[in-house]
Amino acid sequence: MLEHGHLTCACPDLSAFELISLSNQVLFIGLFAVVAWRALRQPTRANLDTTLLFGGIAGAVGVSRVGTWLGYSGEPGLTALSLVLLNAVPFAMLRLVDDFRGTPRWVQYGGAAAFAFVSVLAVSSFAVMAELVELVTIGFFVAVGGYAAVAFATESRRRRGITRRRMTAVAAGAGFFIAAIVAVFIGALFPTLAEFLGLAAQVAALAAVLAFFLGFAPPAWIRRAWREPDLRGFLERSAHLAGVADDRAAITQLEAAASSAFGASGASVGIADGDRRVLRYLTADGAWVEYPDDAFIAGRAFSRQRRTVAADAEAMDPEHAETYRAAGAHTIIAAPISTDERRIGVLSVYADRAPTFVEDDLWLLELLANQAAVLLEARTLTLASSALRAREEAARLKEEFLSAAAHDLRTPLTVVLGQSELLERRIARDPAAPADAAGVGRIVREARRLRDLVSELLDAQRLEQGGAVVELNPADLCQIVDAVRDRHLGQGSPIEVSRPDRPLVGSFDRPRIEQVIENLVENAIKYGSSSPEIVVENVDGEARIAVVDHGIGIPKGERDRIFERFFRASNVQNITDTGLGLGLYICRRIVDEHGGRIWHEPTPGGGSTFVVALPIETAGGDADQEEPAAAGSWSSPVRKGAVADA
Amino acid sequence: MRERRVLVVDDEADIRATVSAILEIEGYAVAEATNGAEALAAVESDPPDVILLDMRMPVLDGWGFATELRRRGHPIPIVVMTAAQDAARWAADIAATAFLAKPFGYDDLVTVVDRTRPAA
Repeated sequence: MLEHGHLTCACPDLSAFELISLSNQVLFIGLFAVVAWRALRQPTRANLDTTLLFGGIAGAVGVSRVGTWLGYSGEPGLTALSLVLLNAVPFAMLRLVDDFRGTPRWVQYGGAAAFAFVSVLAVSSFAVMAELVELVTIGFFVAVGGYAAVAFATESRRRRGITRRRMTAVAAGAGFFIAAIVAVFIGALFPTLAEFLGLAAQVAALAAVLAFFLGFAPPAWIRRAWREPDLRGFLERSAHLAGVADDRAAITQLEAAASSAFGASGASVGIADGDRRVLRYLTADGAWVEYPDDAFIAGRAFSRQRRTVAADAEAMDPEHAETYRAAGAHTIIAAPISTDERRIGVLSVYADRAPTFVEDDLWLLELLANQAAVLLEARTLTLASSALRAREEAARLKEEFLSAAAHDLRTPLTVVLGQSELLERRIARDPAAPADAAGVGRIVREARRLRDLVSELLDAQRLEQGGAVVELNPADLCQIVDAVRDRHLGQGSPIEVSRPDRPLVGSFDRPRIEQVIENLVENAIKYGSSSPEIVVENVDGEARIAVVDHGIGIPKGERDRIFERFFRASNVQNITDTGLGLGLYICRRIVDEHGGRIWHEPTPGGGSTFVVALPIETAGGDADQEEPAAAGSWSSPVRKGAVADA
Repeated sequence: MRERRVLVVDDEADIRATVSAILEIEGYAVAEATNGAEALAAVESDPPDVILLDMRMPVLDGWGFATELRRRGHPIPIVVMTAAQDAARWAADIAATAFLAKPFGYDDLVTVVDRTRPAA
């Protein structure tokens, strides 16, 4: 491939060979021009090392071309110069490995020393002992270049997306190039193999230059194709975020998707609060923190609305060096998340090393930031519309409730009004007429119904404003159940109760618990065909009170909804005096505030069983098993919060 | 002149009792029905002069009753009694003669029922 004297391939007139050789030379020089131009614009270490790599190859090619034109082909001095330039190639590869991944210091120094040694050897001794120089040079290429090729290959496995593909291409290019050079040198040492090895070297060099092009200067269409899987992965992971109601979950998932698309250490999304000029970030433990919207690298990208690269974040923003160190964010790239009308926030991706191919990363980052803008905007709209729907639903429920409440209040009121006016006229017409006991009875009955409806309304109102439970005191559930039973016995509606002999004591707001049981019993009477039954049990240290009826039951699809506010099961429409649809809702709230649970089960054979489970403090008052702290709390009322927290 | 007969249709026993008691004192003969189906049977066996009709009832509601009554060709005047807020619309929907919005008092009831008396 390199037609200088000794190394010139001894192939006769192989036009295909010459064609490959020529195109290799043109391609390498072209590649050198591309990377040199890039290094001029962005003189980063990696760009300079890349330039050194291709500068060495292009230089060797140029020296041999010029030598051939000037008729000095085969001059040992020129060959030695070519060798020095070629020796720079493995050395530049080693430096690139350090740029991309980092290498131990001794590798760098060793590589530099070896480069100096083989170069000095070439200049000083090539003319006198060419074969020794060639052998040493082969060793240098295989050791240093091979190390670099393997390092690129292993590093590429750790990367993702375009970076991975580009590094793989670089590794392949390095491998092919080393193979080509080694083939040429071996051909020089063994002239009988020179023809075959020369052709092999040209083919390997062609593969190398193509791989290097892919690695160092991939055309846009290839980048697009390479980027596509990452972008699709991001879209797949983030597309549903528009519907995620929880801010924290949405941001965390967006960050995870971005981080994964880059294979970066992490990603962070800052959300702008434009009025207050702050950016909100989510910390690892799920808390929000706010910073001025121009603080940190991300803030700079946001406030300038421009993508920003910090190859060394601590150096660029020393004020927050500690934060960057703690997050393992040595390098940060950040891009604003904005739409035409709105600055939504900022997306930043950080890693512990400088990005290998920063322009690709920025390209992808901007694409992800634009996508994030669309997602977050869609999310805002979705949430706004569901908030509106929820408000409308609440308003509709309230209206339905008011209308139902008004309806339910009007019926007993009609009786009270009409019946009392009737009594008034009877007395006016005939003061001596016998008292209308039935009429008075109707007034009393309907007035009581009015009272119950009003107190149901007031209970619901109180629940809306605060808690249902006022004061917790030690109380025995068995006694509470007995009280309900006795009251119904007094009203001529007996209830069957089965309960343990030992008390089930817990911290309860007694009137409230009694209200729950009473409500369930009244429902059982109203919707049941026979008298209800109450079963009290101690199940694994919690008290369970089951109110069992054999009535109409609750349709399967509605069993979860019956505890909702204003919900009335569809099969109660033929039953009058169903109340306001608040009874079970109030029960659930009271039980919840006691740290308990309430649920419905169908009664075997038909009907409903409502079960209330409540925490109890001792099973049967074994005082010696009781812990002193618990005993202490018994002596004084415990505010409901204390139990709720426990 | 024979006493006018009123059919009171409501699922609430206390409402029926109260309305009946007032109308009886005012000289009406009152029959009761607890839902639309019972009311239809009552109309067929002994047609009243006026029907006081609750709207929300089990089995057959006021609307269903009125529709069926008209389909059978009975021209008996209907007074809608309802606790719903839009009593007037309910009344218009079933082509009722008048309506009584609950809660109504003694005089409201008597005045409205009197007004359904055909012009002499």
